[in-house]
Amino acid sequence: MTGVLVQSTLPLPLLRRGKVREVYEVDAATLLLVASDRVSAFDVVMREAVPYKGAVLTQLSAFWFKRLKSVMPHHLLSADVDEIIARVPALAPHRDQLHGRAMLTRRAATVPFECVVRGYISGSAWAEYQQSQTLAGESMPQGLVESAQLDPPIFSPATKAEQGHDENVTFDHVVQRLGRLTAERLRGASLALYEAGRDYAAKRGIIIADTKFEFGTTPDGDLIVIDEILTPDSSRFWPADRYQPGKSQPSFDKQPLRDYLAGLKKQGQWNGEAPPPALPDEVVKATSERYRDAYRRITGTELE
Amino acid sequence: MQALWGERRRIGLWRRLWLALMEGEKELGLEIPDAAIAELRAHLDDADLDKAADYERRLRHDVMAHIHHLGDQAPAARPFIHLGATSAYVTDNADLLLMREALLLLLGRIGAVLVALGKQARRYRAVPCLAYTHFQAAQLTTVGKRMTLWMQDFALDAEELLNRIATMRFRGVKGTTGTQASFLELFEGDHAKVSELDNRVARAMGFDAVFPVTGQTYTRKLDAQILAVLSGIAQSTSKFASDVRLLQHEAEILEPFEGEQVGSSAMPYKRNPMRAERMTGLARFVIELEGNAAHTAAQQWLERTLDDSANRRLVIPEAFLVTDALLVLATNVAAGLEVREETIAEHVAGAMPFLATERLLMRGVKAGGDRQNLHEVIRGHALKGGKDLLDRLARDPAFKQLGVRAKADELDPAAYVGRAPQQVDDFLDRVIPELMRSIQAAAPAAAPAEVKV
Repeated sequence: MTGVLVQSTLPLPLLRRGKVREVYEVDAATLLLVASDRVSAFDVVMREAVPYKGAVLTQLSAFWFKRLKSVMPHHLLSADVDEIIARVPALAPHRDQLHGRAMLTRRAATVPFECVVRGYISGSAWAEYQQSQTLAGESMPQGLVESAQLDPPIFSPATKAEQGHDENVTFDHVVQRLGRLTAERLRGASLALYEAGRDYAAKRGIIIADTKFEFGTTPDGDLIVIDEILTPDSSRFWPADRYQPGKSQPSFDKQPLRDYLAGLKKQGQWNGEAPPPALPDEVVKATSERYRDAYRRITGTELE
Repeated sequence: MQALWGERRRIGLWRRLWLALMEGEKELGLEIPDAAIAELRAHLDDADLDKAADYERRLRHDVMAHIHHLGDQAPAARPFIHLGATSAYVTDNADLLLMREALLLLLGRIGAVLVALGKQARRYRAVPCLAYTHFQAAQLTTVGKRMTLWMQDFALDAEELLNRIATMRFRGVKGTTGTQASFLELFEGDHAKVSELDNRVARAMGFDAVFPVTGQTYTRKLDAQILAVLSGIAQSTSKFASDVRLLQHEAEILEPFEGEQVGSSAMPYKRNPMRAERMTGLARFVIELEGNAAHTAAQQWLERTLDDSANRRLVIPEAFLVTDALLVLATNVAAGLEVREETIAEHVAGAMPFLATERLLMRGVKAGGDRQNLHEVIRGHALKGGKDLLDRLARDPAFKQLGVRAKADELDPAAYVGRAPQQVDDFLDRVIPELMRSIQAAAPAAAPAEVKV
């Protein structure tokens, strides 16, 4: 892999450009997802790219897809650049952009809900709990502290907002929209995927505090898990050795970046909105190293 | 569950039953002073069991002993306690209240077993493993599919519990031989009032339905039906535990083993399935208790005999206590099952050549071979072992001349599990959620219970 990728440009029809990844159409049944090295913090996309970040997201997803395939079928066809180019020869000149970052997938109709699982109470869930002692609209026990473990974990679905933040909805809302059977399957699969991932990562020093899954329906009507799974971008990763309930936890991956930006905000040098401030090299490097460390710990191998 | 079957709890219920009776009688027109009711109400939970025992030593009658002791504590109530009633009014009705509450506790516990096993079944829904018939390797299933077999047994028990709880009736206010004669006397021939007293007391104690007819006691057939449900739970637990014991021998699935647990005092390397073994032992006890209730129901003479009493006092509490323990153990073992995917995959790989021969046989016949000949050829080679079975078959003239040999995709275990993963999905997403909603509507969530040994 060479250099960083801020934004991919490929000779395929571009379907979507997200905060971090581009989605291209290969054919009616196949998509190509490319994770760039863009990084966002406090909802603002930084100008600098983080080396290896796109590859970590793609290869970590591929690792989990394969490992958890008995829990839930997935959309991954290949995350190997040679295989991808063999399938789509037109991509051969763009090998550098694709290497490690690209994923060839089955195409599926996206289920219109974000399937969030919370194993620890944090972020917007902690805010909701403090306000109303509920989570995803369901009442919760008294006396939870910030970052406390939720056992069993909670399925907390959200609508997919085109703009702005996703909105939390109740499980009954999903039942009404998709029918009970599909809703039960989404909940069951989300919880099972999360718990399997949580248990595995915990043995390797990473707490996966919460995560977000996306599902799709294949033309045959099968439900599969799509997008990325159990990555630092779709989840909260916390370093297990620094876990202290009762306060907010450091992020395993983005903490150097957040610390730097929070410092600027405190000194009044950044108002927290776009355009983002320039990032010093050492902050970018430290963040890159954190992403690679997460990959190394979970997979037990070095990112190629 | 233990608190439920203690003496203190039972006497508290007796006193509440006496209060409900006295209140009902007063509301329906009997002259009972307010002070009698107020004093009785003030002494619902402060029975002195030693003082009651002193009375019982003299009187040789437990219910009368407690009536006297309560009369000492509530002298204004003394003349009216137990008015028109027979002992079975407090003993039977209290047993019904206790059994219904105990059944609800068990329902919550079964819910916990289903949740724990459901998680495991979902996680391993598509992991191929050997299926065994005659405890000999047969074809493939999935680990999760096997777990749904255990779950389904518990689900059937839960349905029985729900039915038993929903249809339970109160013994009510029936008098010495069930004719309500003493109450008809008290209400001077007013049938409507006697009937209303029966229903009113039942409602006050939380029962909607009353046995329309009884002898002195409610029919002991109900005890037999309840013990049959508990025995059913014990059967499911035993089957689950036996399977875990067999699979632990294969090192495929193991019961949880705590960090410092010692397997054997003499053989430190051992890891025994001791919880599963205990489960089968305790289950056997509950299954055998069922016979007691059946014989008691069968042996009741006419309006009643007393041979039920001593037997029921042992059998009913013990059956509930042990069934409760069984479900706590089952939840603990289910939640902590250690599934060794690598070992399972090795065992599957060892069997794959044999499994592939069935497809080879089909393709051989399609290519023009004789089914019976080819079957014999496969049998001959298979009996010599499996490792290079497919190579030997490919070299055998019978298959060689047909140009038929095993294909790579015929050796993928996932192709041999049939609809197992889809069956797991259907069971977990269609069947179980509906049952869980019924359980949650009827029973509070089971409090977590720790297995200490």
